[in-house]
Amino acid sequence: NCLRTIGRLVSATAASGFSSAPRFASVVNCRVNQCQRNRWLSTVNMSGNNSASATSSSKQKYQPDFVPIYFILRDGSKVRVDCRVGDNLLDIIIDQNVDIDGFGACGGTLSCSTCHLIFDKANYDSLPNKVTEEEQDMLDMAYELSDTSRLGCQIVVTPDMQDWVIKVPNDVADARIL
Amino acid sequence: LVNQQRILAVDAIRCPATIILRSRRASLCSLSQAQKDRVAGGPGLEDFLPNAQRPPARLRLPDWLKREIPAGGQFAKMQRSLRQLKLHTVCEEARCPNIGECWSGEAATATIMLMGDTCTRACRFCSVKTSLKPPPLDPMEPANTAKAVAGWSGHYVVLTSVDRDDLADGGAGHIGATVSEILRLRPDMLVECLVPDFRGRPDCMETVVLSGPQVLAHNLETVESLQRLVRDPKATYRQSLDALSHAKRCRPDVVTKSSLMLGLGETDDEILKAMEDLRSVGVEALTLGQYVQPTKRHLKVRDYVTPEAFKSWEERGKAMGFLYVASGPLVRSSYKAGEYYLAAVVRQKRGD
Repeated sequence: NCLRTIGRLVSATAASGFSSAPRFASVVNCRVNQCQRNRWLSTVNMSGNNSASATSSSKQKYQPDFVPIYFILRDGSKVRVDCRVGDNLLDIIIDQNVDIDGFGACGGTLSCSTCHLIFDKANYDSLPNKVTEEEQDMLDMAYELSDTSRLGCQIVVTPDMQDWVIKVPNDVADARIL
Repeated sequence: LVNQQRILAVDAIRCPATIILRSRRASLCSLSQAQKDRVAGGPGLEDFLPNAQRPPARLRLPDWLKREIPAGGQFAKMQRSLRQLKLHTVCEEARCPNIGECWSGEAATATIMLMGDTCTRACRFCSVKTSLKPPPLDPMEPANTAKAVAGWSGHYVVLTSVDRDDLADGGAGHIGATVSEILRLRPDMLVECLVPDFRGRPDCMETVVLSGPQVLAHNLETVESLQRLVRDPKATYRQSLDALSHAKRCRPDVVTKSSLMLGLGETDDEILKAMEDLRSVGVEALTLGQYVQPTKRHLKVRDYVTPEAFKSWEERGKAMGFLYVASGPLVRSSYKAGEYYLAAVVRQKRGD
């Protein structure tokens, strides 16, 4: 059983003064994607109202829970992966068993280059978080490094990434005899 | 349920009425056998899901690699004593399938992994945790390790460690101190050290070798063409061979040892070349084992090498002049290390 605190029931009598239905605070501390409670709470948060914005007059825009992103695998095939907004690409690829051999060896601790992914130029430029020095140090060791390369563990999915096409580069010189 | 009970009761006394009751039981299912076969052979759930991912093709584990999951008794006792002394083992961290066998019984032994459970490298065959800045070393670890080891009944212990590229000496001093401490508490103990390459720095290797282990092991892991694929980029074929040859130079009487994993896509010629290269730098002991994928994030197994093929590698290794070759699907670098070593030393003394 996951013993981490992953949410708190907000009392309806809090100063907000809304309907008496209880709402869950959006504190989701559990980073374990497989944790069932994490998934459920995220869904509740996505479809429910934020206590902060509910006070404002403008309605919160509906944020899609999942966006489809296409990956071109090392053998050239293209797969569609439904990625949950807020997860990083490494966790998504591992959790959804996308067929990439030896991906994410360090488990997302920014200690290797095995989650190396290549983006289109426009998409690469539009990514909100730019490459940090630590990420660049690891990327420098990657095979088939390009100007639009990033590490999947550092890319968090946003709704803007819908229908992106991301290439999975080879991890070694491709003439491996099998 | 009541019907079944009635049928069972009738069967027990072999009443001729069972014939009628059995046919009634058969008619409880309205499908014919042919219909049942069609259902069983028909489409499954994946065929109806719109974007079902083709599950990654993964070879099934052959029977000769299946092991029981251990629990209780000596196994639990070993676990408790290790946790009390805040020690880690590669057996647990790298998910060795032999853990149940090695940790049980009277001569229970574990391969203690020094310098914590977090490594600074990310090799793609290994499930040990990775971080560029692991927690600092435990200064009590050498003493605690010696205490644990001294309490075991065997006379042979294998020590290993994680890579600590964040430390000035790569951890060589810490490993050397552990060996010295063990030999102080138990001068009769035979120590085998499975060490990192220390980024090719000869002074670090010297520190470990001169602390007095009988056997100095460093794993080549795989053939030359697969090094970049299988190991962390900081590790290379040449660097590992040089580390082994330097260890031999520091102390010619130390037995050097190395290990190869098979099943990652190497060819027989490549394996042979790797064995010859090891022999050429003076390595005397060799272990060959089957690579098994530890988690989803690691490399897939390319093929499962048969026990017969492992046996033939053992023969070829012996013919090449290795002091001993431990070769089998479940053989690992420290698997029965004491038994193999002592048997080989006895053979050598007898002049085989």
